[in-house]
Amino acid sequence: MSDRTRLANRIKAADFALYELVLYLDAYPDDRRALAYFGKYKKMAEMLKAEYQQKYGPLTAFENTDPHHWQWVEGPWPWEKEAN
Amino acid sequence: MWTYDKKLQYPVKIKNPNANYAKIIISQLGGPDGELAASMRYLHQRYSMPDNRVVGILTDIGTEELAHLEMIAAILHQLTKGLSPEELKKAGMDIYFVDHTAGLYPIAASGVPFDMKYVGVKGDAIADLNEDLAAEQKARVTYDNILRMVDDPDVRDPIKYLRQRELVHYQRFGDALRLVQDGLDSKNFYAINPSFDK
Repeated sequence: MSDRTRLANRIKAADFALYELVLYLDAYPDDRRALAYFGKYKKMAEMLKAEYQQKYGPLTAFENTDPHHWQWVEGPWPWEKEAN
Repeated sequence: MWTYDKKLQYPVKIKNPNANYAKIIISQLGGPDGELAASMRYLHQRYSMPDNRVVGILTDIGTEELAHLEMIAAILHQLTKGLSPEELKKAGMDIYFVDHTAGLYPIAASGVPFDMKYVGVKGDAIADLNEDLAAEQKARVTYDNILRMVDDPDVRDPIKYLRQRELVHYQRFGDALRLVQDGLDSKNFYAINPSFDK
């Protein structure tokens, strides 16, 4: 497994934990423990995404940082085998 | 509004194309209990919900269903990529190919194109949330049916993930229904429509 895939999988996992917390907190907005977990996983996800984007390009259109090239349109796209 | 994250929610990596699997999995793209129906249902119901928490739940589950729609598209794309017209014909996908080639068109396995009639928006929180509970169970059954007919572990893996998510959504809609009921007259839940009367 390439470094890119390994890093991408860790991001998917961190974002998944975050999304589970989003859905739970929507119903229980004052749950302190859930809010704490959210903060912790958010930091983890941000670190992983910073590393990924620096090495492999933007994960959202607004995160394009290369002033010479619009990396956003570079493949592979998420539904392609090569991106997973 | 929506931001697009350039990644799948869960990885899809299918080594072996298989048009027979694509023929049935396409129901989760454009069928009555598929991900397009789910996302349209939840995202449209949220506008008339009386409780902020329920608006949040419908917004965020509706958004997640769009991500699941993309995963189904990824599965279908990888199952059909590189197949020749002859291979598609052998799997009975010549009927689809003639109109859509290798494009992904939201249709049910039966050939019926996606129909907004699959989606209910009644403008009543109790009716809408009960529809959502049923929708998640129907989606779960559809995934169960797909798993009965698919042996390839590369395909089973993301399908099992999607099935699991339906069960979690069912729990969340159960929470949402309870939240709404807690805010109503316990002697008569139907005294008012909480989405309409104030």
